[in-house]
Amino acid sequence: MREFLATFETIFNNAIFYYAIFVMGSYLILTLLSAIEMSGYIRKNSYVNYREILVSPLAPSVSILAPAYNEEATIIENIRSLLSLHYGHYEVIIINDGSKDGTFQQMFDYYKLEKVDFVVNYQIKCNEIRGVYKSKLPSFSKLTVVDKVNGGKSDALNAGINVAAKELIMCIDVDCIVLEDAILKLAKPYLEEKYKVIATGGVVRIANSCKVEDGKLVEINMPKNLWPRFQVLEYIRAFLMGRMAWSRLNGLLIISGAMGLFDKETVIKVGGYDHSTVGEDMELVIRMRRYMYEQDRRFKVVYIPDPLCWTEAPQDLQILGRQRNRWTRGTIESLWMHKDLFFNPRYGVLGMLSYPYWLFFEWMAPIIEFLGITVFILLAFMGNINWEFSFILIAMVYFFSITLSTIAILFEEMSYQQYTKGTDLVKLLLSAFLEPIMYHPLTVYWSIKGNLDKFTGKNNWGAMTRKGFKSTEAATETKQTT
Amino acid sequence: MNFFGTIFSYIRETYVDRLSYFPSNIKISLMIILFCAIAIVELYIYIIFRRVIKANQNKQTKYWKERIGNMLASVVVYDESENTAEIAVHFYDKLKKLPLKNSTVNQILTSEIITYHKNFTGKIPEVLALLYAKLKLDKRSKKKIDSKHWETKIEGIREANEMGISEMAEEIIKYTDDENGLLRMEAQAAYLKLSNKDPFHFLDRAQERILDWHQLVLFEIITKNKKLTIPSFSKWLRSPNDTVVMFCLKLIDHFMQFDAAEEVQRLLKHHNTRIVKKSIEIIGKLELEELEKHMFEIYFDHTDEIKLEILNSLGKISSGKYADFLSSRIHSNDSKIKRAALYAIKRDADHGEARLLEIYHHTSPENQALITHVLDNRIKQ
Repeated sequence: MREFLATFETIFNNAIFYYAIFVMGSYLILTLLSAIEMSGYIRKNSYVNYREILVSPLAPSVSILAPAYNEEATIIENIRSLLSLHYGHYEVIIINDGSKDGTFQQMFDYYKLEKVDFVVNYQIKCNEIRGVYKSKLPSFSKLTVVDKVNGGKSDALNAGINVAAKELIMCIDVDCIVLEDAILKLAKPYLEEKYKVIATGGVVRIANSCKVEDGKLVEINMPKNLWPRFQVLEYIRAFLMGRMAWSRLNGLLIISGAMGLFDKETVIKVGGYDHSTVGEDMELVIRMRRYMYEQDRRFKVVYIPDPLCWTEAPQDLQILGRQRNRWTRGTIESLWMHKDLFFNPRYGVLGMLSYPYWLFFEWMAPIIEFLGITVFILLAFMGNINWEFSFILIAMVYFFSITLSTIAILFEEMSYQQYTKGTDLVKLLLSAFLEPIMYHPLTVYWSIKGNLDKFTGKNNWGAMTRKGFKSTEAATETKQTT
Repeated sequence: MNFFGTIFSYIRETYVDRLSYFPSNIKISLMIILFCAIAIVELYIYIIFRRVIKANQNKQTKYWKERIGNMLASVVVYDESENTAEIAVHFYDKLKKLPLKNSTVNQILTSEIITYHKNFTGKIPEVLALLYAKLKLDKRSKKKIDSKHWETKIEGIREANEMGISEMAEEIIKYTDDENGLLRMEAQAAYLKLSNKDPFHFLDRAQERILDWHQLVLFEIITKNKKLTIPSFSKWLRSPNDTVVMFCLKLIDHFMQFDAAEEVQRLLKHHNTRIVKKSIEIIGKLELEELEKHMFEIYFDHTDEIKLEILNSLGKISSGKYADFLSSRIHSNDSKIKRAALYAIKRDADHGEARLLEIYHHTSPENQALITHVLDNRIKQ
């Protein structure tokens, strides 16, 4: 028995080692690709005058779609902020997804809405639209409000797509702070790529502790609370390193649900957002990509590193856990729905690279990590562990993760340097040391819980409570759609 | 031995004395740890030093920008002479005392002169152009254009463009069909402004694509530059480069060049659907009634996207010849076609609404709702 356990421990150590080497190697490749893509983007766009898109009649037209559910505390301010974006040809469509509070009434009164005789062309399935409203005031002529029966975020976005009149659709979370030149920057790839661009996404940043006035970001600060601070690091790593690299490979599988610009024609052709998944943002991009492959059309999904959208990250562990749980379930659902893509050469980079990567590293990595920890504890309990070797293996992963985070911080410093205060930089650098031991184990736990919930049939969206940007005393709004 | 002493001695022992005895995976792990530890320290030092250096550079830039800005402001308010050459000589003596061998100062002076040149009219731009030449900044711009690096070339082209150095047009033309898209676009933009003889010559030699983004930028330059003599763009509609054809169609549309009608009609049979669509749009916008029948002829052979554009154009022309055809579209199974046809009927200012109301009384409730939608002026098409 003792001999068996010793052999098992050797195999176990080797397996952990080779898996870690494989994961670390892939991260290094992604980092390199991301560096190439980012430096190319920054060099290329340092000569760009975005004002030219702003005023040009040749710029593509954009419909902004923002679903709202129980947002009465901030809806007026949020719409005002969306109406003041810097772009020539755009409309704002707010979809009131059957709010139970005074969201609709607030909009109705403030923007002097009236019902119009709009006949909705139901090109995509969605719940009943009760009415389409326009403002009586010419200054709000860009605004359209859609009032519909509750059906969740995907359903609300589908309703918005059915009403949208422009060429491109920008799907956003209504409570995000969208920077004024966001559309300009997201629309540009549609004009400059050789192949058809079907979607573009930008970097989402954490707005906790930042100063917000009239729905606009006026001062950027590092979050005071430790959990959002870890998320700052996590977002920088994910957006500036991961997604930029996948953009380089034209293998992006996800455009953040917080903000993304899509080609309306392609979205309609694939049937819009899927109601049956909580990972609707990822699932839509996969479906659009596979449609383009099936049509034998060359295309691109582009990510740009500009920080265009700021969102409030959960600082309560329970809420953060719910969010991560939902992300895990969304990933599993999207991967399962498109399982035929796995190493399928017909789908090019999508089938041969992106899909397997998400399967092995995004979905399976936390599971393998959890299994590793469990086996390690069992072996330790049975006294069959080489403590020194185990410690060296753990230290290797720990040091590598700090290195990766530090490179991400360097990317941030060399590109947009959003955190200009020296103290903020120090806090960020210190977070890189604490994150692997304080925050990462929690993300593994939430991911495992997400897996368990998915396979035991618990499929709710999960309540998402935000404190709001106005002030700490601001009424907390609760978004819950099941 | 204290705690740290113990740790250091363990690390030393591990890496120096015991390393060769470890199994290979542990040896590799130890090497990775060592590599990462060194990388982390170096990265931290680099990040912090970079911040410090950048802060110093910003301070320097601010200082020189302010100083040079003040000197150029005195050029603006100088009123002791009206003679531009005299003023230039007066300020040249002051400006040449700047440490122009310092590339930062040189670059700041160049960009400040360009900014002032762009923002003032009258004698000031002339004085600044003279100063630019006297300070040999034009030679520097030329040197940049001849550089091996495309970024530097672009900088030089931009400087020549902003300062209106037309002698450099011949130097720039060779880049208007360069493989590098950004360089190509900058060269085309500059050539448009700097060439006195034939600013649109680059369209004759364009083999590379003029991307939509480049078209947008060039379109802005062409439509905003009042000094430019606008040619008849129809002469490029036979170009083998589809992007040149597309770009010229956009310009024909903007400048309402009716003389292009014949060529536009020919393009209705073009292999590129984007060009066909744009041609149809122009026929509508220019209300080329004589081409209505040609659009109608191709209607049934095309995709919905083209059909919708034809309906739109028929609406814009509103000759009345195709009123029955438009009315008959109400029986289409495609609601987009129905909607576009109804909007086309509405466009007829004299009879449109009456015709829609007539259809309203003889159609299904579903179509009636659509007609009400079309008649609601608060809803944009």
